[in-house]
Amino acid sequence: MLRLFMKGNEAAVYGAILGGCRAYYGYPITPASEIAETAAKYFPQVGGTFLQAESEVAAINMVYGAASTGQRVMTASSGPGLSLKQEGISYSAGSELPLVVVDVMRGGPGLGNIAPEQGDYNQIVKGGGHGNYRVIVLAPNCVQEMCDLTKAAFELADKYRNPVIVLTDGFVGQMMEPVVLPEPITEFQEKPWVVDGTVKTVNNLISSIELEPEDLERHNIKLQKKYKTISENEVRYEELYTEDAEVILMGYGIVSRVLQSVVDEARSEGLPVGLLRPVTLFPFPTNKIQELSRTAKLFFVSEMSNGQMFDDVRLALEGKSPAKFFGHMGGVVPTTEEILEQLKMIFNELKE
Amino acid sequence: MENNIIETSQIKYTAKDFSSGIDVKWCPGCGDYSILAQVQRTSPDFGKKKEDIVWISGIGCSSRFPYYMNTYGIHGIHGRAAAVATGVKLANPDLQVWVATGDGDSLSIGGNHFIHACRRNIDIKILLFNNRIYGLTKGQYSPTSEKGKITKSSPYGTVDFPFNAIKVATGSGATFVARSLDRDPKHLQEMIMRASRHKGLAFIEIYQNCPIFNDGAFSVLTEKETRADNVLYLEHGKPMVFGANQDKGIKLDGLNPVVIDLNDGKHSIDDCWVHDENDPNPTRVFLMARFTDIENFPTPVGVFRRYDKPTYDSDYHEQIKNVISKKGTGTYEKLMFGKGSWEVK
Repeated sequence: MLRLFMKGNEAAVYGAILGGCRAYYGYPITPASEIAETAAKYFPQVGGTFLQAESEVAAINMVYGAASTGQRVMTASSGPGLSLKQEGISYSAGSELPLVVVDVMRGGPGLGNIAPEQGDYNQIVKGGGHGNYRVIVLAPNCVQEMCDLTKAAFELADKYRNPVIVLTDGFVGQMMEPVVLPEPITEFQEKPWVVDGTVKTVNNLISSIELEPEDLERHNIKLQKKYKTISENEVRYEELYTEDAEVILMGYGIVSRVLQSVVDEARSEGLPVGLLRPVTLFPFPTNKIQELSRTAKLFFVSEMSNGQMFDDVRLALEGKSPAKFFGHMGGVVPTTEEILEQLKMIFNELKE
Repeated sequence: MENNIIETSQIKYTAKDFSSGIDVKWCPGCGDYSILAQVQRTSPDFGKKKEDIVWISGIGCSSRFPYYMNTYGIHGIHGRAAAVATGVKLANPDLQVWVATGDGDSLSIGGNHFIHACRRNIDIKILLFNNRIYGLTKGQYSPTSEKGKITKSSPYGTVDFPFNAIKVATGSGATFVARSLDRDPKHLQEMIMRASRHKGLAFIEIYQNCPIFNDGAFSVLTEKETRADNVLYLEHGKPMVFGANQDKGIKLDGLNPVVIDLNDGKHSIDDCWVHDENDPNPTRVFLMARFTDIENFPTPVGVFRRYDKPTYDSDYHEQIKNVISKKGTGTYEKLMFGKGSWEVK
């Protein structure tokens, strides 16, 4: 099988093109710039468009415009850029526009640095913009998934008429791994709501405004129902040795790769640990966590943040199982050794 | 109206006093080193104490500037330095406020803040390091990149038309508009000195070489062999003459500038356009700014325009004084329990 060796950021563009995306609007920012550069190179070759916008705000609004015409469209950035795009993402959620944003996280807050971090979890998974909305969030942990999940993002966006964010970190964006390219999407569902210059759609209006409180509430209730459907149907996760695990490790993105090594090491030392890696951060694998809490004694969450996903794990556990957090910030990556040490202490405590 | 110089004769600063002493982290050969050196060399002559000067930046290579100056420094958000500077100047009008920015920072993501700072004529000084490329993000095209330029984000050449910074600043209402070159230290020092003395929004576009991602963008203007034939030094009250032998001039034929040969027997220096930087009509500034867009025309450097207009900060503080003199000093009680409030019983 033909395998291509590429960066995670490049793989996202391959996934987008195979997912039918034909428009890219973006602004350069480290560590996400290669996505724009790769799009600039390949989009014109498949008859698509690439435009380097004058700002992050401009880029997301251009995406809003292109999505309104029914075109599969994307942008990409990193934390500071996503902060700027939040207004446009809220408007897109309100107008129910399908679009894809890739966030290659870097260190924050503020200018922070360009090292990988996971401090955008709250601003992406919890909304970040104003209003009662959710976006679907996919969290790849390898270059293959950067391709596959970006492709999947376009299907999910169209299926639910909702923004989808591919949330990854500078590590996954910058590292190189072999990729097997998936089959391209060739069948697209019709979009009767678009503004595409046909007699059929001439009365369509793309808008997020509802002036009457009752109307806006109805619109919000409709959105909440959609989010509930998404939560019921689109949860994705990966599990490793969870059946007999006393301690369940949880982490996403690059941290889950470290946790895979931790599980192997721990198992070889006789420690019964397993791994639950959320692939979707919204919807969150709440049911799976609750199911595992019936057999596991403790949940151990590791992130490159101050514990933003940890909050969601605790919410899912509803206080029924203990949970511990171990993380680093600023671009420091948790090591296998550090986590193993933590686990040994935990198992000693569990024995007592 | 140029700012009064504060007597700092007791304090004898040198360029070294304005260096923060921390390691300068630009790429070897970057034009930013020269800009920093010229600012540090001229700073002792601003007539300001170190604690009266503040350097503000956004994001980009240029925006490391405040770290290297031994003055106050604010490193803000991408494109927003002009807005941050407006807040600083309005809060403390006694500060001399400088902005270090770039073509991406001020003409792309911060375009709106830049034009509105110019429009208000707030008394800040903006140095725009124009290297016609995004350097910090490693080589994408910028809003001043020439049409057709091949970069990492324009592999088949840009289709955008570039901004002309002089036109943008002039059109937006900046009251001091100048251009200089990183490789012409003396000229750059003179422009910085003049900006420091201007009351109102002073804008200097500095052509700056990025040796890594856009090397040689301005070499025709800075190399010995080509410089004289391609650079026109604007001087107030002087005819526009250029060329290695000072044998070429610019004549204004109605609203059409033309290059004339002073040795062809038909033209003399008396035919040349005489530069008037205080011209209240911006039309001629736009004509000069266009030289860079016309083939075979020299690139003008120097002060394009300098004129007096009330500044936002002085007018605003004047307004506060007027309101207080008419209505008296407001007190908390008067505001809370004055005409507009009533008691619910």
